[in-house]
Amino acid sequence: MNLSLYRDEDTWLHRLDSRTKMIGVMIIFVLCLCFNHPLYMAGMASAMFAIAVSSRAHPVLWNLRHILILLILFSSVLWPFFIKGPTTVWTWKTLAVSRESLLYGIAMGLRLATFVMAGLVFLATTRNEEITGGLIRMGLPYPIAFALVTALRLVPTFAGAGATIVQAQVSRGLDLESKNIFGRLAAFIPLAVPMFITAIRYTNLLSMALESRGFSPVTPRTMYYVSKMGKKDWGALMALIFFLAVFLYLRLVCGAGVVMPGRL
Amino acid sequence: MNMGISVSFEDVSYTYHNGDIPALQHISGDIKDGSFVVMMGHGGAGKSSLCFAVNGLIPRFYRGKYSGRLTVGGRDVSQTSIADLAKTVGLVFQDFEAQLFSTNVELEMAFGPENQGISREGIGKRIDRYLRFVGLEGMQRRDTATLSGGQKQRLAIGSVLAMEPSVLVMDEPTTDLDPYGRERILSLSEELKNHERTLILIDHEPDAAVGADEIWLLRNGQLAAQGTPGKILTDTALLESCGIKALPTLALFSAMGWPWQPLTLEEAIFLISKHDLAPRRKSGMDGNRRKSSNRHVVLEAKDLSFRYPETSADVLQGVNLTVREGEFVAILGQNGSGKSTLARQFNGLLKPTSGEMLVQAKATTSLKHRELARLVGYVFQNPDHQIFASSVREEAGFGLRVLGEDPGRIKIRVEEALAATGLAGYEERSPFLLTKGERQRVAVASILAAKPAVLILDEPTTGLDYRHQRDAMEMLKSLNRIGHTIIVITHAIWIAETYADRTIVMKDGRIIMDGPTREVFRDETRLGETSLSPSPIVRLSNRLSMNALTLNDLVEELKS
Repeated sequence: MNLSLYRDEDTWLHRLDSRTKMIGVMIIFVLCLCFNHPLYMAGMASAMFAIAVSSRAHPVLWNLRHILILLILFSSVLWPFFIKGPTTVWTWKTLAVSRESLLYGIAMGLRLATFVMAGLVFLATTRNEEITGGLIRMGLPYPIAFALVTALRLVPTFAGAGATIVQAQVSRGLDLESKNIFGRLAAFIPLAVPMFITAIRYTNLLSMALESRGFSPVTPRTMYYVSKMGKKDWGALMALIFFLAVFLYLRLVCGAGVVMPGRL
Repeated sequence: MNMGISVSFEDVSYTYHNGDIPALQHISGDIKDGSFVVMMGHGGAGKSSLCFAVNGLIPRFYRGKYSGRLTVGGRDVSQTSIADLAKTVGLVFQDFEAQLFSTNVELEMAFGPENQGISREGIGKRIDRYLRFVGLEGMQRRDTATLSGGQKQRLAIGSVLAMEPSVLVMDEPTTDLDPYGRERILSLSEELKNHERTLILIDHEPDAAVGADEIWLLRNGQLAAQGTPGKILTDTALLESCGIKALPTLALFSAMGWPWQPLTLEEAIFLISKHDLAPRRKSGMDGNRRKSSNRHVVLEAKDLSFRYPETSADVLQGVNLTVREGEFVAILGQNGSGKSTLARQFNGLLKPTSGEMLVQAKATTSLKHRELARLVGYVFQNPDHQIFASSVREEAGFGLRVLGEDPGRIKIRVEEALAATGLAGYEERSPFLLTKGERQRVAVASILAAKPAVLILDEPTTGLDYRHQRDAMEMLKSLNRIGHTIIVITHAIWIAETYADRTIVMKDGRIIMDGPTREVFRDETRLGETSLSPSPIVRLSNRLSMNALTLNDLVEELKS
């Protein structure tokens, strides 16, 4: 089974330079921080989803839908207990929930979901090697860029090994469905030790394989995939910066999109 | 081309940092430019250490006690960095999963040349050239994770060749491959000979060495012998002493007292017909009858189909299967044919998408994992995926402990299981410090202790040398004799032939052959559809219309 997030398609987002996408994700993060009204955030989330569909990254979101839904739910349920708004709708002893705090909770849930979606869409449309290349072009030293991206690359590998380890131990009768906390803790060691050993063995082999293929952090190397910042890249960045300016104007000058004044 | 010396060993000895006995002892010898050398030996004989020494991983990556001088292309290995040496020596590892790290085929190929600082155009040319050489042309954009095992290993070879090293070292590149994948790799090594590249191949099957210029035999870290295939492979006693199975054709001819020494099956068949060694006989094709038709059914799959959630393709399609108590079943098929997926249905790790899987007449969907663990034991391919305890006793007793058995009973069961797996006396040892073969046994013992009615083993012999493979299989055979039902998933054909009463062949998620082992291996055309073929002995036996599945049986049958 393939656990990697990358989807090999040829869409407008795949063709953008990885630097554009990295900066773009950061701008989207800031855009998300501009408003805390659920309707505005719903608009942002829908826009992000539209981008995902247009770059055929939506299957990745679909596979992780449970996490996205949980994020929204948790945030909507928990936030109202921690902040107070003027219009109280429900009280119980010292707890009070207001209409504004409820709306704020939903907005925060959507904001988190949009963050996660942006990250996932980035990983679904950008190869590890392109990220390495982009990071180097942005001035990061090669060994650091390579290490960062290799860590990313190892996630699916270790997830796969982890799944096998769980299966192997469940086959021996390990009870992962146990309800009590001690049962859960007892189940931890038979899973953690083999995981640890497997990870060490694997990374050891990987570093041997890298060195045997002439990998050396200090000597200069060439890149087979070279991408340039083209018109489309500058266009995409300009568009995002334009949105950023408009959003900041709306929030700071017009005071739009706010249910909780004084909060991000 | 000059026939100079490519690799030269001058009294090379090496001891690993935490090892007490040397892994290599006083190795001396020369490998000529452009020659093809096969290194053979038992597990732990020092084959991998020798590879690592040629490539500089020893002593640069593995620090330890190193003496002597090893030069490659005139350069002293111990004085050169591994990355520098990579321009001259390419190394292909046994484990094809860990040596591929790029996201698609062409980037994997490009990685080495990129490190060498070659221009984009130059890299593109090399990618085309060497992908064609390893037979992966047109797959440039494929995600490496979607390749089959054989393709992955060929990509690994291609990606090393793309660096155009003058010496290519392959460390057991075929052990995790099905027979078809193995054959492709071996034919590549034959072709490489024509490319004026020195090739060093490690393998423990003698057929890989037939086309070599020279064979080096290793035993306990020492060079036991070196010479041409004609000289080394015909010395059966020497091979046996190094833990190598003799070439089946040679073993047959010497057992029959026939005075020729054929190295290949074709040669053997030619000699037999030329000298009329095996006169035609009335073909008594009775085969081995299945003796267990009235025993209890332990496993039954009814129209079983399965697909992973979130995917659209069925991994198993309409499988119907009955396994009875006391059977010894081998499941064969190419990598990705659904063997492991089917076996994971047997113990409920995976549940059918449609159809039914019954264990002792109860559907796996109605049973808990804990209950199933007592009925069906499953030994995973890699023992390191399950070993965690600090002693063998604790490891073997883990299953019983979590199943809530009382300590007295656990002690007895564990002792029985350790005795059955030949691990008596190992109780207090740490499983992490045992050899691969011993760890495999610990894994079997830990499953066996729960006394499951059915024992499933996923590739129980990978990574073991011939001697340990035979030991492991003999152990299973004796468990089978005392009543355990054994199911072995394997790509080692000879294991199915020698030990299984019944063989199941899978392809694309379906069972395409299922019957007594002898019958299955008689149908070579059908087997060929799945890229499998019987071992040389059985092919010979088929050719002579005989029933033998093993060398001893064939000798007996010929003499009768």
